[in-house]
Amino acid sequence: MAEKPAASRTPVRSRTPGTVIALLAALLVTVVLLVAGSPSPLRALRAFFGGPFSNIYYLGNMLDGAGLLLIAGLGVGLAFRAGVFNLGGDGQIYISGLVAAIVCLAIPEAPAAAGIVLATGSAVLVGALLAGVCGLFKYLWDTDELITSFLISAALVPTVSFLIAGPLRNQQSNLLTTVRIAERFRLLRILPPSNLNLALFAALLLAPAAYFLLYHTVRGYELRITGLNREFARYGGIAVGAYTVVPMAISGGLHGLTGAFAVLGTHHAAIEGFTFGLGWNAIAVALIGRNHPLLLVPAALVFAYMEAGSKAAMLHTEFSFELASIIQAVIFFMITAQVALPRLRPRLRRPETAA
Amino acid sequence: MIFNAVEIMTPILLAALGGLFAERAGVLNIALEGLILTGAFAGILIAAATASLLVGMLAGAAAGGLLAVVFAFFSIRLRANIFITGLAVNLLAAGGIPFVSTWMFGTKGVLRFPQLQRMPRLLEGVTSGINAVDSLLFGHSVTVYLAWLLTALAFVVLYRTPFGLRLRALGAREESVVLAGVDATAYRRLAIVISGIAAGLGGAAISLRLGVYLPNISAGRGWIALVAIYLGYRHPFGILMAALLFGFTESLAGAAQGLLAIPGTVLLGLPYAITVVAMIVYSALRARGRRHRRLIDSHF
Repeated sequence: MAEKPAASRTPVRSRTPGTVIALLAALLVTVVLLVAGSPSPLRALRAFFGGPFSNIYYLGNMLDGAGLLLIAGLGVGLAFRAGVFNLGGDGQIYISGLVAAIVCLAIPEAPAAAGIVLATGSAVLVGALLAGVCGLFKYLWDTDELITSFLISAALVPTVSFLIAGPLRNQQSNLLTTVRIAERFRLLRILPPSNLNLALFAALLLAPAAYFLLYHTVRGYELRITGLNREFARYGGIAVGAYTVVPMAISGGLHGLTGAFAVLGTHHAAIEGFTFGLGWNAIAVALIGRNHPLLLVPAALVFAYMEAGSKAAMLHTEFSFELASIIQAVIFFMITAQVALPRLRPRLRRPETAA
Repeated sequence: MIFNAVEIMTPILLAALGGLFAERAGVLNIALEGLILTGAFAGILIAAATASLLVGMLAGAAAGGLLAVVFAFFSIRLRANIFITGLAVNLLAAGGIPFVSTWMFGTKGVLRFPQLQRMPRLLEGVTSGINAVDSLLFGHSVTVYLAWLLTALAFVVLYRTPFGLRLRALGAREESVVLAGVDATAYRRLAIVISGIAAGLGGAAISLRLGVYLPNISAGRGWIALVAIYLGYRHPFGILMAALLFGFTESLAGAAQGLLAIPGTVLLGLPYAITVVAMIVYSALRARGRRHRRLIDSHF
């Protein structure tokens, strides 16, 4: 809203050394916290590093988490590439997940394909609307999309929780959850008894699709140019307004898809707080993968591994804590920091004073 | 209700005043929420340990300031993306405080400190004869008056000192300040630390008034403060009005809760909803105003 120095609004792009340093720092902090918080540090550490691979169940769940992270991460990265910031992703996943569950519960007799398409479609639509509207406000009145997308999600999340824990609650369950969706709407499980399901393949198809869109189509080129320099893009005749609204909508839609898959594939119901910070993790994944669709695949795997590891290690600590959000914080601090670079490279231009 | 509104607005006002310094230096500080949370936690912890509210307030401010030093180091010194690092501050507070809380007290839930003395009130019993004026001005917690004092101080610093002039110029036209030989990064870092101190103070004001620490006690006030800065036209006295407006809406909503039978959980989202609507309306009006001015300019 206020006139910011241009440098602070340019899209988030980090360089490899920053990524490696950030990941190492996150690993170090994790190890220190585990050693400090566990009566048997060695077992906690072994659980952290080996846990995700110890059996099919853990492995499958980790891959399932990576798939969801990848889809949401693509949503975050695509918006970043266009120079917009969707900060409401976690809420969009949550809200759309509930929408998918409601659709499934409303038409229990529908054919499988129709139900899945309808549930997924409405979830994507709701996500796209929630984020797209922020892009629209940005385009119309220059309303900061970062703040509005966060606030809109934050305003709606309590209502979703209320619906799950209240009117839609499954009275037979001890959990705060809706009734489970009909069997035929559930996505095919791949590695039982784990949660891994077909959604992983959808994620693995979406990444190259996003890559193709960004790097091998005119629209993708225009989107990236808009993200790099709006004024230049405007001068070049690119409809900058469209590349504000549409990437936000796509970003929201991908978060909506994540929510739908989390319900149809992973949980089979909308559970209170089922995102467990998935949307925030997706931002970390997008940053680790430098907003490049193909790099996001290993990034999602690495992050899912760290998350699964910390969950396994929690079993060997005296108390559980939100290790994931601390890992996120460390990564967010470090990932875009330009630690050694200014000294390694010859100074070609005047050092920037901007943030 | 007016009385409540004034009490509710105080942490928002404090955080927004701090955020104003960052904003004027050209930094949108989205970390206010985490800084408030940190101040609230550190404030009540130290107040209980030292049995002194004053020390608690100072500790809250110091904790917010310290976290802001880290924030400024990464975002300004290492030139990391300011929004990503701001997010890091919020996540660190949201994840770090439960960690410390469990480590020290064995719970990440509600922390009660019954031995803590109550926040003293000032000007109790003073009356002007008009009810509304009384509840607006008299008998409030010390922090309320402190916040008003700091509003005036923020005005003086921003508009009547060379420091304030340079800070405002930095946000408005960076080149001019740099060419005048001012160290822009030092000013930005200082502005961020000031916003951390003020937000920490705001956080301590919340927890010390209640005498308890609740998880997520900041409840979105950092974001409300951020919007209050714009709504107040980036001026201390405007922010005072904007914060009061938010205080009123929240206290009205609290009163309406019983009448309308809205579930309490749903209402948790209300501050965010009010804030986002206020922000959208504000930006729409501002954009229209700009268009009008352009039309007028083109006529003359």
